[in-house]
Amino acid sequence: MKLRKFASLLCALAMSAAAFSGQAFASETDTSQEVVVTMPVSSEPASGFDPVYGWGAGEHVHEPLIQSTLVRTTTDLGIENDLAVSYSCSEDGLTWTVQIRDDVKFTDGEPLTASDVAFTYNNCRDNSSVNDFTMLKEAVAVDDTTVEFHMNEPYSIWPYTMAVVGIVPEHAYDENYGQNPIGSGRYIMKQWDQGQQVIFEANPDYYGETPKIQKLTVLFMEEDAALAAAMAGQVDVAHTAAAYSEVTIDGYSLMSVDTVDNRGFNLPCTEPQEIDGIVYGNSFTSDVNVRRAINLAIDREAMIDQVLNGYGSVAYSVCDKMPWYNEEAETAYDLEAAKALMDEAGWVEGEDGIREKDGEKAAFTLMFASGDSVRQALAENTANQLRELGIEATTESVGWDTAYDRAQSDALMWGWGAHTPMELYNLYHTMEDTGLAQYSPYANETVDAYMDQALQSNDLEESYELWKKAQWDGETGITQEGDIPWIWLCNIDHLYFVRDGLKVADQKIHPHGHGWSIVNNIDEWEWE
Amino acid sequence: MRWNQRKRAKLLFGFSVVFLAAVAISGVLCREAAMTTDFTRTNLAPCLEYPFGTDWLGRNMFYRTLTGLSISILIGVCAAGVSAVMALLLGLAAAVFGKRTDSVISFLIDLVMGIPHILLLLLISYALGRGLRGVIIGVALTHWTSLARLIRGEVLQLKESEYIQIAEKLGHSKMKIAWKHMFPHLLPQFLVGLVLMFPHAILHESSITFLGFGLSAEQPAIGVILSESMTYLIMGNWWLALFPGLMLVLTVVLFDLGGNALRSILDPSSVHE
Repeated sequence: MKLRKFASLLCALAMSAAAFSGQAFASETDTSQEVVVTMPVSSEPASGFDPVYGWGAGEHVHEPLIQSTLVRTTTDLGIENDLAVSYSCSEDGLTWTVQIRDDVKFTDGEPLTASDVAFTYNNCRDNSSVNDFTMLKEAVAVDDTTVEFHMNEPYSIWPYTMAVVGIVPEHAYDENYGQNPIGSGRYIMKQWDQGQQVIFEANPDYYGETPKIQKLTVLFMEEDAALAAAMAGQVDVAHTAAAYSEVTIDGYSLMSVDTVDNRGFNLPCTEPQEIDGIVYGNSFTSDVNVRRAINLAIDREAMIDQVLNGYGSVAYSVCDKMPWYNEEAETAYDLEAAKALMDEAGWVEGEDGIREKDGEKAAFTLMFASGDSVRQALAENTANQLRELGIEATTESVGWDTAYDRAQSDALMWGWGAHTPMELYNLYHTMEDTGLAQYSPYANETVDAYMDQALQSNDLEESYELWKKAQWDGETGITQEGDIPWIWLCNIDHLYFVRDGLKVADQKIHPHGHGWSIVNNIDEWEWE
Repeated sequence: MRWNQRKRAKLLFGFSVVFLAAVAISGVLCREAAMTTDFTRTNLAPCLEYPFGTDWLGRNMFYRTLTGLSISILIGVCAAGVSAVMALLLGLAAAVFGKRTDSVISFLIDLVMGIPHILLLLLISYALGRGLRGVIIGVALTHWTSLARLIRGEVLQLKESEYIQIAEKLGHSKMKIAWKHMFPHLLPQFLVGLVLMFPHAILHESSITFLGFGLSAEQPAIGVILSESMTYLIMGNWWLALFPGLMLVLTVVLFDLGGNALRSILDPSSVHE
């Protein structure tokens, strides 16, 4: 009897405590200015929130939030000033001069000066593990508000680099900076529980417009967990995949964001040869007519409907919808023309429906990263479509530890898409030591020359034309009529379940990576 | 008509063998169909045409389950076979070739038993580059210990028996005694041990594949099927996990029942039950 009394007393105590704490919690915070967003586990920055080690400027570009950048990209992917007041490039393209604002303070109260900018860039040049800064010779602070970037070689698309590198404070930078970042951006990182969540709060001294959302919590979880969290009403924005797009959740609606997060596969363009144990090239795909036929025989619309439930857009290049995209890349689906091309090239249909030429089967291996169900589905769908053409594509899952080497001789389902034309350079320009492109063997001097010229141009807008010519100049290039070393399939829409009443501001076209891009403009979101 | 226990055991054993052989063979035959994707029939719930439903690539889960089980059974048979032979040889050697060999082999047994099965299995499979080979060698190298210990004990006991002592006195070589006099005596234990090792091998194969250290993702292995189904369970596609899981359990249970039935058939002491 005594025991029971004691237990009931305990219960009552616990309940009242819970009630009190609940009340305290409710009165302390105003949820109308808070947002909870989920992101894939892979979006958590492994090395912390340090731009040098990839925060904002890594494989997946986005605005660094905590730090501010010199310039930023607009919704149509032009460039506008942020910290910069003006910037210019010298005639020879070797010096960039940037004037910055003089009224900006870091969140520790120290002013942000040109020497912080110079320090950040020199540090990136020396230590960046994820970005290429080899074109930068030195950043020099001329006075408190003027920075000069001295380049090793002309680099016309420098503003796109300036748009992703967050400026760090020289006086408060050490090896632990990534864990305790100090910046001058819209938000302050308040708390980081590794493997779980990051909490941001608005910077009260921000030099721009005051953020409408005062507190942002980012939870790291996989898509199925994010869906469960949305079903339980625990989050305001949950990232999701096309596979879940048919699920309806009360109080949430599905938001689809246009992207340049593309998927496509490489086709090695050279005859196979072995160097240092790695095979470069593939005898079947080295035939340009084969590559053209494959590009013609892919029904991208059907693929998007079947694999992505319609949540995607067709892709004909790595940079569809970007200002430097050449529309000549567009290739209509035409199976008959593809068959004619194969016949013409001497690949005739065998008894089993698979084409042959001189005893060689029209077959290749199409690899996909293991565990990525969308890439697997795209690979399977491609294989099914190519069977109509009489080509046998065998799908195989690979881990990223071996994928890069194997892609030198076999096709691999890749994902790319960034807010800089440098991506064209990375995929199609030859490297000095091998004379072949980095990810899949390919070489074309004319394409190289256009891209070199584009980088040497001292006018960004003008350079777009040269990037377009690198894709197709009327005679040669990387499109259907050209060498077509990569086949592009689709851009995958980024999907989110958004709680009703939350107004997510207009998004610029998302690059590759289903993570931080969504919160680029979190300061402009609103609750209705 | 009333069945005695021995008849029932025989029937059970026969049923297990027939069922498992049927699954193994049909799985191999419908491998092609199991790999076929068809995007016009994705995520279908079980129906007459697709008794186990279809997955997000429009693959027929019935064929996929059969093929997955047949892969599992083949891997299980291979790995358990290799493992059992190792156990037999090591167990015999330990008991026959004197103290020193015995202590080395006993030490090996303790060593392998001391490391958690699944951990050692992951390490070996990963080191061998995963895939079919990695799994078979991994399972084979981790499962021989308990049978080896059993056989060693049995042989030690046999050594004291009169007919072995007499054979020794008659001057027969150790090898000859082991092969001619001991092996026939050990055969029932060996066979039963072998059969009872199958379920372990199969479960371990599917678990390391489930964890991503076994067969690669385009293979229709049970472990792959189950790990893929995780993503779709939340959407209510229960059939992706239920049927393959049930079939896996059924297979393992049948191996176990079959093995126990075999023991009672082979065991002379149960002849009259």
